[in-house]
Amino acid sequence: MSSQNGNGSKGISLGALARRPETGSLIGFIVVYIFFAVLGGPVFLGLPGWSSWLNIAAEVGIIALPVGLLMIAGEFDISVGSIVPAASMMTAMLGGHYDAPAIVAILAGLGVGLTIGLVNGLLVTRTTIPSLIVTIGVMFAVMGLTLGFAVLVKGSTSVSYVPDPLTKSLMGQFVKGFSVSIFWWLGLVAVFFYALHVSPWGNWIFAIGGDKESARNAGIPTSQMTIALFMASGFCAALVGVLQVMTYQQAQVAGGQAFIFNSIMCVVIGGVLLTGGAGSIIGILLGTMTFAVVNQGIFFAGLDPNIQFIITGALLLAAVLSNDRFRAMATSAAAKK
Amino acid sequence: MTMMKTLMIATTTALMATSAMAADIFVVGGKPDDPFWSRVKMGAEDAGKVAEAQGGSVTWLGPQNYDNLGPDAAELIRQAIDQGADAIVGPNWVPEAMDSAFEAVVAAGIPLVIYNAGGIEAADRLGALNYVGAVDYKSGYAGGEYLAKAGHTNGACVNTLPGAANIEAFCSGFNDGLAENGGTGSVLQLPATAFGDSTAVAQAVRAHLLQNPDITAMFAIGDQDSNATISGIQQAGKTGSVHVCGMNFNDSILANIKAGTQACAIDQQGYQQGFFAVSILNNHVMYGTTIPTREILTGPGVIDASNVDLVIAGVEAGAR
Amino acid sequence: MENFAVLLRRPAAASIVSLIGVLVFYVFAGVELDKLFGAASWVNYAARIGIVALPVGLLMISGEIDISIGAMIPAGAMTTAIISGHYDLPIVFGILGALAIGVLVGSINGILAVRTSVPPLIITLATLVAMQGVVLAGSRLLTGSASVPLNAPDWAKTIFGNLMFGGSHQVIIVWWVILAVIFWFFMHHTKYGNWIYAIGGDKESARNAGIPVNGMTILLYIMTATAASFVGMCHSILFNSAQVSGGMNDIFNIIVSVVVGGVLLTGGFGSVAGIFVGALTFAIVNKGIDFTAIDRNWSNLIIGIMLLLAVGMNEKFRKLALSHVSKKK
Repeated sequence: MSSQNGNGSKGISLGALARRPETGSLIGFIVVYIFFAVLGGPVFLGLPGWSSWLNIAAEVGIIALPVGLLMIAGEFDISVGSIVPAASMMTAMLGGHYDAPAIVAILAGLGVGLTIGLVNGLLVTRTTIPSLIVTIGVMFAVMGLTLGFAVLVKGSTSVSYVPDPLTKSLMGQFVKGFSVSIFWWLGLVAVFFYALHVSPWGNWIFAIGGDKESARNAGIPTSQMTIALFMASGFCAALVGVLQVMTYQQAQVAGGQAFIFNSIMCVVIGGVLLTGGAGSIIGILLGTMTFAVVNQGIFFAGLDPNIQFIITGALLLAAVLSNDRFRAMATSAAAKK
Repeated sequence: MTMMKTLMIATTTALMATSAMAADIFVVGGKPDDPFWSRVKMGAEDAGKVAEAQGGSVTWLGPQNYDNLGPDAAELIRQAIDQGADAIVGPNWVPEAMDSAFEAVVAAGIPLVIYNAGGIEAADRLGALNYVGAVDYKSGYAGGEYLAKAGHTNGACVNTLPGAANIEAFCSGFNDGLAENGGTGSVLQLPATAFGDSTAVAQAVRAHLLQNPDITAMFAIGDQDSNATISGIQQAGKTGSVHVCGMNFNDSILANIKAGTQACAIDQQGYQQGFFAVSILNNHVMYGTTIPTREILTGPGVIDASNVDLVIAGVEAGAR
Repeated sequence: MENFAVLLRRPAAASIVSLIGVLVFYVFAGVELDKLFGAASWVNYAARIGIVALPVGLLMISGEIDISIGAMIPAGAMTTAIISGHYDLPIVFGILGALAIGVLVGSINGILAVRTSVPPLIITLATLVAMQGVVLAGSRLLTGSASVPLNAPDWAKTIFGNLMFGGSHQVIIVWWVILAVIFWFFMHHTKYGNWIYAIGGDKESARNAGIPVNGMTILLYIMTATAASFVGMCHSILFNSAQVSGGMNDIFNIIVSVVVGGVLLTGGFGSVAGIFVGALTFAIVNKGIDFTAIDRNWSNLIIGIMLLLAVGMNEKFRKLALSHVSKKK
């Protein structure tokens, strides 16, 4: 993981580092990790411990990346909670029930996510309805469609699918306890890092989040950008659905709801606070890791599992409280320049 | 005595109902997207085909989610009364919250069958015609006994729905099944949001096993949880040394049993629960018949490598 | 005609049209209206979400949002059950405890909302999660169980948790109606209502006009959290028990019913009558499907589509109203 941190801080002076919101999330991660290391002991510190929380981090992290970008642009996507089961159901249905080739099943599953994302994006950009409400409506509709079609076609709410060995090894395998989804997650981190911090799209997203009107006036294709972001979140949620089918070899109609708020929490702990035009991929990455350590550490520490909610809540509050300070520091530094 | 009473109620309601000559039966159950409950629903609807041919109907009422299980189910029972049910089927998940609603059913002279949860005690207490279902405690006990007799005596029950009386009963049954066959059991409590989240369950199981290396037996309260538990065991590198029994099953669970990754599945035959509860009530309303056998048990049946092939055909029909 | 046009521009108009639309749809889907209106299930449900929707609606008119209500309903129920069920203290303490926890969490939300520049959705997400943990872990630590029985005395049951008319209508329906009247008076006949609209319209100019923006905002947050814990308290008394639960779905349901009731999520627009009708509409959408011959499997699809249609129509109505206002200027 250290290489990831290295990427983010490359070429940044110490003063700039202290001003970055990621610094807060890094400190949060270290504090939480040490806390659970003390309680969890050597098993938590060892490879099994790392793979344990990284496996959790990978799934929620894949969704947290686009959700974070959407939040930077000032939008929400609640529908991810229904896309995960919808995509896994589509994949299992085609691959398991109709015996389609794995690649067709996977592409269809991902296509479900892209389509729902497109619908979200169109509804958000073509109407004045806030994205929170649009995506709640779409979430209910997709949940209903998934259940209705699963029962109609298969007569059951769960469909099993045994993927061929190659597909399984690419999408549903464990390497020494580490899920391959971790590699997908890290790959996406690189893609999103490029999109937000290197390519021109990143500045557009920050601009849209800062002030949509002036962004549009500046010639930024705000509608297309917003639609693209919703499609990205649909795609990533669908990818998690597909990875789950390959891992657990069955798809369920229910489930996925936990991703809605969990992904937002990862993003917030990582320092993206929807205050318009602030946040970074490294922050989201750190936020996700912190969230996952709390989530898994609790079982190693032998504490009542519900205490994880209290710790997560405290972390969120800490992020909320420190936000203004970091923002003030960042803006004053920017003003000096 | 209660027998007599129910029979009397039965005859009077039957006489009242015959004039209508069609039974509108309301079935209160789990969410329709819950795999187990979708099979119960299918059983109820298949039995309902007879009712429909006679001009009656079967209506399924399920909660949107399990956040507010007891009150929501109690509400649905009262809703069935309001909708003019001729007969009602319902599970007694949370007695404190639901008993008064069931009492209202009986007080309104509507024939009632308790199914899935509560046992014959609940049916007797509430004045229901009968109980159809497994006994949750016995289901858990069967799992504990099976694993302990196979020599896996240190067990943990994975509870993903803390607070639901029937799930708590699975776990206490499992632990007693272990204890009375020379083992010890504990409960792995998951946070309340983990139900239905395979990754969360798998990782919790894995962490628990790594931290408690003596555990060799696990019990899962549902088929999805069984799959997740098996994955957790595999990720902990303990396939073959930790053995799983789980409630309910589907085609992937059967594949697990064939492949040897799962020791047994405890079958409570949800399809039968829905089918018999509705049939009993339909015949009762139409013809005044009763089933003198009280407590119609649909489980627990143990499915393991010895009988798994028989079960597969039923699964392909969506009924098992 | 002019009167009719004025009526159409009222914030409640769109929600009434949605309500009629839903009823028409269900009639075509085979609902017998007399059976629906005779049934208690949807009225009980409307009251449950409606009591919380009233203050949440005002909060949204003032431009804020509160999702911690999802945890506050079980928190209220659990507090009452632990104090008066597990520890056997008089029910008064249980009731006061539930309301106190509402005031406490509401104050935290409110103070954080006025002191920081963080969006309220994030602030209340933090308190939502924290309260979930406190309730879940607390009940386990204090009672050792995730389900706590409670036997309330008759007077408390009569006031907070009883069934009325010998049928299955819950007494919280009366509470809902009374609270709706109080909120209606507060919002539309006192200066505070105008303050809330002003805050939602433009916070800065409201502050410059001498409106105690911070005090008002904190008060509204206290009202939302307390209303939620009140509903939980009533439920635990009615159902003789409290179970731990996530409560995530109540968040969506309550926000959706407020929005269906014509409240603008970004603030400044909405009415108490609209919020009231919105809760009613949402309850009928949600529970009405049980009265049709449609397979329950499709219920979420219908809820989702109806929601989007209702909100879309609200937008149209609002544009109508706003364009009229701007023409007058």
